[in-house]
Amino acid sequence: MKNIFALGSAAALAFVMATPAAIAGETLDRVMATKTLTMSSDAEYPPQSFLNDNNEMDGFDVDVGKEIAKRMGVELKIVTPSWDIITGGSWGGRWDMSVGSMTPTKQRAKVLNFPAVYYYTPAAFAVHQDSKIASLDDLSGKTIGSCGGCTYDAYLNKDLVIDAEGAPAFEYKVEAGEIKTYETDTHAFDDLRLGDGTRLDAAFSALPTIQAAIEGGYPLKVIGKPAFYEPLSVATDKGDPEFDAKITEIVDAMKADGTLQKLSEKWYGVDLTAVQ
Amino acid sequence: MLDLARGSPWVSRATLFVFAAAALTAMGLGGTAVGNLFSPLLGAVGPEATPGLGRHLLVGLMLAGALVANLEVIRFLPFRFQVLLVWGELLLLFYGFVLSFERDFGVIFAVGRSGVSNLYFLITTGAFTTLYVSLIAIAIACVLALIGALGKLSRNGAFYAVATFYISFFRGTPLLLQVVLIYTGFAQLGFVMEAVPAGITALALCYGAYMAEIFRAGIEGVPSGQREAAKALALPSDLIFRKIVFPQAMRLIVPPTGNQFIAMLKDSSLVSIVGVWELTKTAQVLGKRDFQVFEFLIAAAVIYWVMSVVFEVIQARIEGYYGKGNTR
Repeated sequence: MKNIFALGSAAALAFVMATPAAIAGETLDRVMATKTLTMSSDAEYPPQSFLNDNNEMDGFDVDVGKEIAKRMGVELKIVTPSWDIITGGSWGGRWDMSVGSMTPTKQRAKVLNFPAVYYYTPAAFAVHQDSKIASLDDLSGKTIGSCGGCTYDAYLNKDLVIDAEGAPAFEYKVEAGEIKTYETDTHAFDDLRLGDGTRLDAAFSALPTIQAAIEGGYPLKVIGKPAFYEPLSVATDKGDPEFDAKITEIVDAMKADGTLQKLSEKWYGVDLTAVQ
Repeated sequence: MLDLARGSPWVSRATLFVFAAAALTAMGLGGTAVGNLFSPLLGAVGPEATPGLGRHLLVGLMLAGALVANLEVIRFLPFRFQVLLVWGELLLLFYGFVLSFERDFGVIFAVGRSGVSNLYFLITTGAFTTLYVSLIAIAIACVLALIGALGKLSRNGAFYAVATFYISFFRGTPLLLQVVLIYTGFAQLGFVMEAVPAGITALALCYGAYMAEIFRAGIEGVPSGQREAAKALALPSDLIFRKIVFPQAMRLIVPPTGNQFIAMLKDSSLVSIVGVWELTKTAQVLGKRDFQVFEFLIAAAVIYWVMSVVFEVIQARIEGYYGKGNTR
């Protein structure tokens, strides 16, 4: 009996060792061979990425992805796994890059590469229209909602480390009384719209996202100046420096010839592609 | 309530009325849409005025009266009409509940540049994906469940151990984690599955484990006299299982399995985390376009419900087929 088990575990071990631990160095080859660049994106994050009224993916991130694919001379394909699956790394070649407004933090850099920062988004606080809160100082001690495990959550917990080059400095101006986190920031807006103080006193999110919600009829208003500007980067899986170099080169060219600025103005009304 | 009424009808009806009126008054419905409906009875009280105890009491009495009158009317109807009437009333209440959110439900039927309505997209993309993912998963789960049940009934130690390990693990861990383990974990070993197959695998493995217990109970539920009688007729053992035990076990297996399938229809929404656009995910995506998520979640809920009702009917048919030996 013992022998059978020994044989079984040896076979299992051999199976594990024989299969490659990760698909390495072949992202660029795969993209060029299949003529398809696969990008992961969130379908629920307007105006960065969403399903437009033609039932196609659209938005700033999607346009940037399309432009990268165009300059590589390949087709763009979009997949929409959840944020946790994307930031968890080890994509196994199922998609090649994330153009998903991701902040290049130290923890994420352990599992992902960040070859190109493509814009800087302001992070802002929103309150209900009926709220008496008028400045960032009034927010101290209040219940604030944000996405869980994201940079806004980290800022409220005073634990935000952005390790990208040229990330603008910031200070912690708000001492939250209670932090409520959600799967994504827009769920915090849903709680805030119920009424001032019903579940939340304020929500903390990207300024463009708050503005899109206000345009969508949410009774919210933005208060104070942005708390910080965060660089947002294209992310790739570990293991293919050639592919990373290609992405860096393309995004740099898009900045140099003004394409990126035009896209930013198209979706945000302002140029967010340079450090503020 | 109706049983009570048989003993001393008027006392129990009055008791029901008083309790219902007290409970409804305590809920303070004077200021709601229902309250505004009755407010003209109290004179010139506009809907804007702060509702007082008088108005709460009036609404409580009216609603309690309606409830008791309703039960009285129903008593005179044949069973079939009783069922239809109460279903209709409960549906109307649900409709009123949804309307009370005062959202723009017209957006569900709105037609975009693509030329198709949002509802059409929700059904062809979302409901269709939910349906085929669930159907394939339940088919595989049935096979796994049968193997698992046979393993658990087996005298072979290794077979028994594998079956119990499988059942224990997949019943004992959350489906959400199983989806992630199969999608991301296996990819680490170089076995890269796309989102839909990974989701189907997770659903099938998880539900196969639950259903293995249902199958085992079904097989054990067939009286041993059946097996012994077949043996006495010198039938071979595989034939005894296929022709004698299994058809009778199916009668016990079908109802809880139908239950599992309806549960799976909705649990398949967990597969959306790996990027499958099933019904819940599609509703959320459509809703986020213009920040009208709630409207689309309600639409998705109704679609899930309709699908469940259809499968309840199918289940009743299958039950009838396997139960025909027991009908007299």
